[in-house]
Amino acid sequence: MTRTLRALPTLLKIGIAEAIAYRAEMLVWVLSTTMPFVMWVMWSAVAQVSPVVGQSGRAYGSAAFSAYFLCTFMVRQIVASWASWEMNFEVRQGTLAMRLLRPIHPVISYAMGHLAALPLRFAVATPVAVALVLTAAAELPHDPRIWALWVPCMVGAWLVAFFSNIAVGTLCFFMESSLKVMEVWLACLMVFSGYLIPLDLFPPALRVVAELLPFRYQIGLPVEVMTGRYAFAEAARLVAIQWAWAAGLIVLSFALWRTGVKRFQAYGG
Amino acid sequence: MISVRGLKKHYRVHKRAPGLRAAVKSLFKREYTTVPAVDGIDFEIKPGERVGFLGPNGAGKTTTLKVLSGLLYPSEGEVRVDGHLPQKREVAFLSKIMLVMGQKQQLLWDLPPADTFELNRAIYDVPRDEMKKRLGNLVELLAIGDVIQKPTRQLSLGERMKCELAAALVHGPKVLFLDEPTIGLDVSMQVVMREFIRTYNEQFGATLILTSHYMDDVAALCPRVIVIDKGRLSYDGGLAELVQRVRPEKRVAFRLSAAVPLAQLEALGKVVRHDAAEAVLQVPMDQVNTVVGKALASLPVKDLTVENPPLEEVMSELFSRSRADAAGKGRAA
Amino acid sequence: MGRYLTLLTLQLRTSALLAAQYRWDFLIDGCISLVWAATAIAPLLIVYAGRSSQAIPGWSMNEALVVTGWFILLQAILDGAINPGLAAVVDHIRKGTLDFVLLKPADAQFLVSTSRFQLWRIVSVGTGVAVFAVAFHRLGRWPSLLGVAQALLLLCVATMVLYSMWILIVSTAFYVVKVDNLTYMFSSIFDAARWPSSVFRGLLKLVFTFVIPLALMTTYPAEALLGRLEPVTLLYALLASAGFATASRTVWLLSLRRYSSAGG
Repeated sequence: MTRTLRALPTLLKIGIAEAIAYRAEMLVWVLSTTMPFVMWVMWSAVAQVSPVVGQSGRAYGSAAFSAYFLCTFMVRQIVASWASWEMNFEVRQGTLAMRLLRPIHPVISYAMGHLAALPLRFAVATPVAVALVLTAAAELPHDPRIWALWVPCMVGAWLVAFFSNIAVGTLCFFMESSLKVMEVWLACLMVFSGYLIPLDLFPPALRVVAELLPFRYQIGLPVEVMTGRYAFAEAARLVAIQWAWAAGLIVLSFALWRTGVKRFQAYGG
Repeated sequence: MISVRGLKKHYRVHKRAPGLRAAVKSLFKREYTTVPAVDGIDFEIKPGERVGFLGPNGAGKTTTLKVLSGLLYPSEGEVRVDGHLPQKREVAFLSKIMLVMGQKQQLLWDLPPADTFELNRAIYDVPRDEMKKRLGNLVELLAIGDVIQKPTRQLSLGERMKCELAAALVHGPKVLFLDEPTIGLDVSMQVVMREFIRTYNEQFGATLILTSHYMDDVAALCPRVIVIDKGRLSYDGGLAELVQRVRPEKRVAFRLSAAVPLAQLEALGKVVRHDAAEAVLQVPMDQVNTVVGKALASLPVKDLTVENPPLEEVMSELFSRSRADAAGKGRAA
Repeated sequence: MGRYLTLLTLQLRTSALLAAQYRWDFLIDGCISLVWAATAIAPLLIVYAGRSSQAIPGWSMNEALVVTGWFILLQAILDGAINPGLAAVVDHIRKGTLDFVLLKPADAQFLVSTSRFQLWRIVSVGTGVAVFAVAFHRLGRWPSLLGVAQALLLLCVATMVLYSMWILIVSTAFYVVKVDNLTYMFSSIFDAARWPSSVFRGLLKLVFTFVIPLALMTTYPAEALLGRLEPVTLLYALLASAGFATASRTVWLLSLRRYSSAGG
């Protein structure tokens, strides 16, 4: 354990060097996150006719939608995870063997790769944050406690995103490829996370479903916290649930990994 | 150091006939067959030994190496490497071994090899000053001083393979598994790699198992060979003895000062090659002396050498023989 | 011509074999198709919920649903027929195996474009048609024969334009090696085609009408089915697709020449 901790800074350093080597690719990936903007255009067009009223009674005008979808873009940049694609690719190419040969848990090395990409992703999110403050400052909460809570909320969102990816990724030990499962997961994420539609605008029945699923804790919750939908106490309660989901996904991921690797040892290679 | 007892590794594979109809049928019903990749082998390897695995493609060499390095779980039998059960993949075990695959690389493609070395230093928790010493030694032995700062993608295959080996050795593994380490390299680069591997073994007393398609690798590096064929161990012992057992014959090569008729040579033994200035005969071991005596007496011999038949030929004969055996058994059953 | 038909049949057969290999994909692709359809329809339901008026200027909910149907249909064509083959080119270029394709005595663009199909995506075609059926059922009328004919024509035009844009993007793979994520970028721009083009204003409207003609792909065919397409628009669409096709073919041939002269 201490040995792994000692190795972390170097893993991170090399990871950042690699991220810099792949900066052009990463930029293209980042730019292909156009969905929040597409949704923003549509919702703005709708709001111009008349404001949309959410379940909470809050009316969403153009400015509110701007704030919501700019935040969505930023959160999406920072909590992005691609671990399941990485795992599927490495299992198919057989290069997972290289990771397995090393005396450090592969999940840790995937996590370091993700963290190493963060500086570049922050760099992309920054101008959007500036645009947000310039255009929609009135929509943002003024309570500093909310912003203090926002930090653990982002960490929680990252944990949910990363470990759900690992959990789905490990399924490729049990089936030929888990990319299709990931696609289903992704589609559910789009609908139920608040990525396309603010959860507040969901019809009541659908909202109950969305609140029971983990997806909203990955994107919707941090965005809602940023756009001041909740008072502090309610926000804190939701972040606690988010962290419970994160803990559950971590346990699930490692359990799946352990049995999965045994299977990989039994059949694959 | 390494002990393998009754090792078996079976794969379950999906069986399907070619063609659209079979494909549609397999939508509904799948048939599986069990393929024994390794079917019961035993051996022991002492610390510091250099052992070569020989066998045709698909014989089970790579599978065995993967079981030994903990990537595959044995279906049956017991494997121990320096007291560890490899399949448990304990940190202590993983820190002692390394598997180098000529076909797969661990170097980070778009960064210089030096970064991969540094990464491995951290992962294997090698102290910095020790690392400096070790890496200096590796860089010198492999002569890669001027390439380790260039991005891996810009290196030639030979340079890449040398760096790959260096990356595999920064943690000083006590057991080194090499799976086709010289594949695709030109002859002079093969020699460099071979020399390096031998030096590493001698300097650090590391145990070494090698599989290779190039018999010369095995001949140059491994005093002991293990022949695996169709998942079974068919020979374990010295290379020279193996050659003798498969081909208990020697080759006698003559340089001639004048042409000799073919019939005269055939009287002495089996003619392998024959032209005006040279002749090569294949002669049973115990008759070498008599044949040489007769030849010197009756032929215009300028020079003469006695040698073993080329290893490649011995191997292809060994494997084709075992295939013929199998075919024979198949017919009998 | 006959030879190319035979080739196409052969390539389709190979894809069918592959599809049969991965049998669970049928079920899973079915589910995925339904969930993606839901992601396209859900925002509409919510936008129009409780408003009888036209939330999107000029489009009632059921009319907008027809646009969504076209979006689902075209995405199926894109993911099932266009994308896989061209992803294969990018692969070939990176691994340097395009030479094998160029050695074959048939048109290289044809060979790579038809080399792979994701046949299970056919499920999404079904989903798209089902969305049409629901929309028109709720509208209480059916499209006219002329409308259907125009729509089918526009479907061909839209496929042609999509395919041409893809060829244009892939041709850049001869210049920039890592282009596989450029194709993702295009897919994500295509996401904007899920709305009637009237939601876009100003500069975006110009871009999505003339540079990346998204309107032509989903809005115009929907208008045709609804029986309100202006003949001029049809003419524009035909011209645009001819223009795109010529441009992409030219660029492809130029890039190919560059590839061969670079000597691998």
